Amino acid sequence: MNDSCSETVRLMKLAIDQANLAMDALEVPVGCVIVHDGKVISSGRNRTTETRNATRHAEMEAVDVLLEQWQKNGLSMSEVAEKFSNCTLYVTCEPCIMCASALSILGIKEVFYGCSNDKFGGCGSILSLHQNSTDSPNNEVPLGKGFKCTGGIMASEAVLLLRTFYEQGNPNAPKPHRPVAVASDKNELELVHQ
Amino acid sequence: MMNKQFDTCEIVHIPEKEPHDLHNQPTEFVFASAIDPQNANHIVRRLNQIAPLENLRHVKRIQKKVLERGQVQLSVILCAASEGDNQLDSVPPALQELISSFQLSPFITKVCKYAATSKEEWQEQCKIWPTSYHPRTYNIDGITGFSDENSECIFKFMQSAMELATSDGVVVNAAVIVDPSAKQIISRARDQVFAWSTNKENSSIDSSCNRKSEFSSSDVISNNFATHESFQVNESNNQLKQPYTGVACLYPWQWAKQQLHSQSSYYCHPLRHAAMVAVESSAARDRYIFPSEENNGEKPLELDHENPSSTSSPAKRQKTVCTTVENDDDQLKARNQSSNQLLERPYLCTGYDIYLVWEPCTMCAMALVHQRIRRIFYAFPNRNAGALGSVHRLQGEKSLNHHYAVFRVLLPEEALHKCHTEVPQT
Repeated sequence: MNDSCSETVRLMKLAIDQANLAMDALEVPVGCVIVHDGKVISSGRNRTTETRNATRHAEMEAVDVLLEQWQKNGLSMSEVAEKFSNCTLYVTCEPCIMCASALSILGIKEVFYGCSNDKFGGCGSILSLHQNSTDSPNNEVPLGKGFKCTGGIMASEAVLLLRTFYEQGNPNAPKPHRPVAVASDKNELELVHQ
Repeated sequence: MMNKQFDTCEIVHIPEKEPHDLHNQPTEFVFASAIDPQNANHIVRRLNQIAPLENLRHVKRIQKKVLERGQVQLSVILCAASEGDNQLDSVPPALQELISSFQLSPFITKVCKYAATSKEEWQEQCKIWPTSYHPRTYNIDGITGFSDENSECIFKFMQSAMELATSDGVVVNAAVIVDPSAKQIISRARDQVFAWSTNKENSSIDSSCNRKSEFSSSDVISNNFATHESFQVNESNNQLKQPYTGVACLYPWQWAKQQLHSQSSYYCHPLRHAAMVAVESSAARDRYIFPSEENNGEKPLELDHENPSSTSSPAKRQKTVCTTVENDDDQLKARNQSSNQLLERPYLCTGYDIYLVWEPCTMCAMALVHQRIRRIFYAFPNRNAGALGSVHRLQGEKSLNHHYAVFRVLLPEEALHKCHTEVPQT
């Protein structure tokens, strides 16, 4: 294993730590860290149950920490944009369509994720928003920004977390109209909030 | 009759799939072959193993034709073929084997590319090659049309969104989340990508307004839309005359280009589009009305009625448009306490509608899937980044765990500029 690879795994382990924190709080176990210049500058984990806001995914949590920090530090918007363009995200599950879109809006540089997200994934599974690079003809406002994206980093650990969570039952999920069998396969997991 | 003024305005359902010309549906090429009915079971079972039709699940594997004198002819799809590809070179060896062992003579034919969305489409498809058709199993109010009374409500809520969008100089997108069963506004928000505030907590409470706006049927509809007869809203008139660069969903990537100094008191958050803020506010409202029972350590959202000022915060001052009903929060909570046993806490925004002036971008549209919104109404399409038909069509993404119905309220651009100059009649 070369250096960059072991570094990727080291950072993904920190994202898994975040996912474990979510699990402990009875949240869908997904976590992430954001890295700038080789340093972890933010982290986040799913907080959808606590907030009753299903958009509070790990990525959104981590991004809000940064925006608040940079705002406090008096960064201008172009400086904020410059910062994001040098940030890399490590997240245990493929960003959903909303988060992938948000990451594109922010202009993040690169994303590493664990398991793929077969129901909601915005980085190849359902939509491919990371490939969405189109510059407007007159070079004013871009109509899309892509980012580099690599999946499958410690995927089995990420899946195991989700499977454990759903096997014990998601307490926040709506009551099913019909009884449902416990999913045994990753593809059948009801990734309710991620 | 007051309904007259709505006659020229339409509410159009935006379907899950881009509608196809009934007689000209997209097709794909496949290799097929006539087979002996005695071998049909065996061949189909084998084909499903070695050449499953991944992207053509709606297509039936076997076509049955009744020839003259009652003879039955069966044909089976072997595998997908590319256009102009008359050779079987590229088929997998296992399939080659099957072809030779049953002495099949493959030919190229067409099947419909997409599953039928209506019975009419399906009937046309089957003339080419049989497909299966699964009619919609759910029914969301409005897909089959709105009553006059419902249309009135829809226009009123859309008008409320438009007033919000134009209420502060720069036109931005605005969102109004509504509980249609009670005709009650749950939350309202403008884009907050650039807001005069450094306190996020304040702005989230502000935008929620917790304002209850109950319309009775005796309410007089404001005249804002009364002049519609003079506007013809049609497809050729879809392009708005102004660019509306302040609308976050239209230009999601624009924030980075803003020339703002670090000294300014702007609060910048590139992701605080109106729909995202409205979802956040409805969640805050939910936590406020239904404080968590099992976990009392969780502090419910505090709203200070005695001292609603903290007027030093610029975000508060911005709120003047929503301050007309002062005791809303009290009323809301009192009402809820009295009927707490009756009221079941909704799961996220289940059953709620959202009104947006512009078609939401991909981020916002997916956020509304996550939050379980029931119906989306928007007035203007978003050709740059719209995710409900313009660039993407999330309402048609089958893999998602929730699907809302999407409607466009056809309004002329002028309606946007009228609504903040006219005071609604009461």
